[in-house]
Amino acid sequence: MRPNSLSFRLVVGAGVSVAVALIVAAVLLTILFRNHVEDNLDARLASYLDSLITVTAIDSSGVPVPASELTEPLFERPLSGWYWQISAIDGSIEPERSRSLWDSALWLEVAVSSTENTFFNMDGPEGQPLRAVARQITLPDGDTPFVFAVTADRDDIVKATRPFTFTLIMSLVVLGVVLVVAVFVQVRFGLGPLRHLQQALAAIRTGRAERLEGRFPAEVEPLAHELNALIDHNEKVVDRARTHVGNLAHALKTPLTVLTNEADRQEGPFAETVARQSSAMARQVDHYLARARMAARARALGARTDVVPIIADLVRTLTKIHAERGLEIASEIPDLAFRGQPEDLEDMVGNLLDNACKWARSRTRIAAAAEGERIVLTVEDDGPGLRPHEREAALKRGERLDESTPGSGLGLAIVADVAALYGGEITLDDSEWGGLKARLSLPRAD
Amino acid sequence: MRVLVIEDDPDLLDQLTTALTDAGYTVDGAADGEEGHFLGDTEPYDAVILDLGLPVIDGLSVLKKWRSDGRTMPVLILTARDRWREKVEGIDAGADDYVAKPFQMEEVLARLRALIRRAAGHASPELTCGPVAVGTRSGRVTVDGKPIKLTAQEFKVLSYLIHHLDKVVSRTELTEHIYDQDFDRDSNTIEVFVGRLRKKLGVDVIKTERGLGYRMSPPGDAA
Repeated sequence: MRPNSLSFRLVVGAGVSVAVALIVAAVLLTILFRNHVEDNLDARLASYLDSLITVTAIDSSGVPVPASELTEPLFERPLSGWYWQISAIDGSIEPERSRSLWDSALWLEVAVSSTENTFFNMDGPEGQPLRAVARQITLPDGDTPFVFAVTADRDDIVKATRPFTFTLIMSLVVLGVVLVVAVFVQVRFGLGPLRHLQQALAAIRTGRAERLEGRFPAEVEPLAHELNALIDHNEKVVDRARTHVGNLAHALKTPLTVLTNEADRQEGPFAETVARQSSAMARQVDHYLARARMAARARALGARTDVVPIIADLVRTLTKIHAERGLEIASEIPDLAFRGQPEDLEDMVGNLLDNACKWARSRTRIAAAAEGERIVLTVEDDGPGLRPHEREAALKRGERLDESTPGSGLGLAIVADVAALYGGEITLDDSEWGGLKARLSLPRAD
Repeated sequence: MRVLVIEDDPDLLDQLTTALTDAGYTVDGAADGEEGHFLGDTEPYDAVILDLGLPVIDGLSVLKKWRSDGRTMPVLILTARDRWREKVEGIDAGADDYVAKPFQMEEVLARLRALIRRAAGHASPELTCGPVAVGTRSGRVTVDGKPIKLTAQEFKVLSYLIHHLDKVVSRTELTEHIYDQDFDRDSNTIEVFVGRLRKKLGVDVIKTERGLGYRMSPPGDAA
């Protein structure tokens, strides 16, 4: 997770707020629990005070003495923090004390009410922090008010709250960790569509898809929609540019025809230069037209083309073009589909079949068959055929085997180029009729 | 043989006209689809050279109109587009052959010769009638193997008649296929050409069908 990422922001943001919330909760719960413990202690102290007052009577010497000991053994244990003391308000008598006080006395510094219990904190012997309750009482048999006080060790509160606080903090830490993990999972899950979007875009860039496909959540949907619109727009711009290239190339062909023919009719070095340069221009035009077409193909690899109608069109066309020679063009085409653009299949098969027709003496044949994931098209003629070294040259761009036969001379080379683009290949062989047999292998669509 | 050339580039039209005239054809030219269509619709042509990229009406539409109106003259299309889809469309629209630009003039001439021959039902490039032979490729005329020198007009008359062997050709038909549209036609001159032609050939191959016109057939072949 990189610092500059949505996941980081979301997880850190959630982490900080969870931490703050948990710390506040910890403090509040600790305070509440501590108050509860204090209240409990205060209630216990008050009940001891009541017991103490109840059992105390004034003896013959005018000293208040508890008739019986308080039941709590802590009052017996020296310096336990649990003390009681009965003292005269005027200090006229030595205060009566619990055994636990040993020989020290409690020094009450607060004004003690006579009507209700007064709770306060104080320091006991040896600086012990104490919780105390006191009341000023005038016993029935006397007229001197006495201060009754009972104390407990404040450390008991700390002792009681410590395990609670420890358990609380541990629980909250675990809760915090669980929450942060949950946030992390949620962020991963929530941002999943963005990752999906990125993969979909990568697929478009590498040509595996044409648009963003699939359903996106409501927040990402507009983004995907805009991206698709952008892709469409971009495609249109590219298409327009490509069309312009095509139009320019095609528009140049008429002037090139004029220049070439004019130069052919004239004599001398000027005419020769014009002829040479115009044929160079014609080659450039063909080259860039082919490039523009290949660029268009790179995007459209998902297309599917039925083989039967394409070949029927070509056979009909070529039969008419070569009508006066009475060529037989036999075709045996099962119902197959080619994974690619119809124009490309047409150009490949058209060039192969046209070539076969040009060289055939009386018959040509085209057949197609499925071989696993591929279509294999064979085109053969009963013409003179090619010798092995000529076959290699025929598939190389720019080579022209026989200048006297009309045609661009690039026919087979173009087939080889287009086939290669689709991951297919063309091989040349001898036909059983003695002519050339071209075997074109292409990807098959279902 | 009279040929219509429809091509919007004036230089190319000029070159085609010159080359075709040199090869012994009578040529009419049109620079747009509308004029071209009109000419093809009203004048009898032995062949048409049709560019596909034309102003006003495109070549393919011109061709389709002719064919749906029953015009059957052979049509050779010129196209700058070199994909098979365009070739298939052109042939399906009724074209008989195509030549892709940039082309060499000889290629157009060769295709045109083949089309005219095919339309007349001849398979061989050399047309013969008894001892008379006309090489459509070379433009050579021989009688019993000996070359005969003919003027352009005489060649046109002979070429048309030999393409339509054994068929009666009227003077008007002959005139229409020998002169271009702007020529001041006078069928009397045809008689003059036929007379000279008969004298130069020296064999009786051109017969006069009284009131109908001429018919070419081997000598001794009675009508």
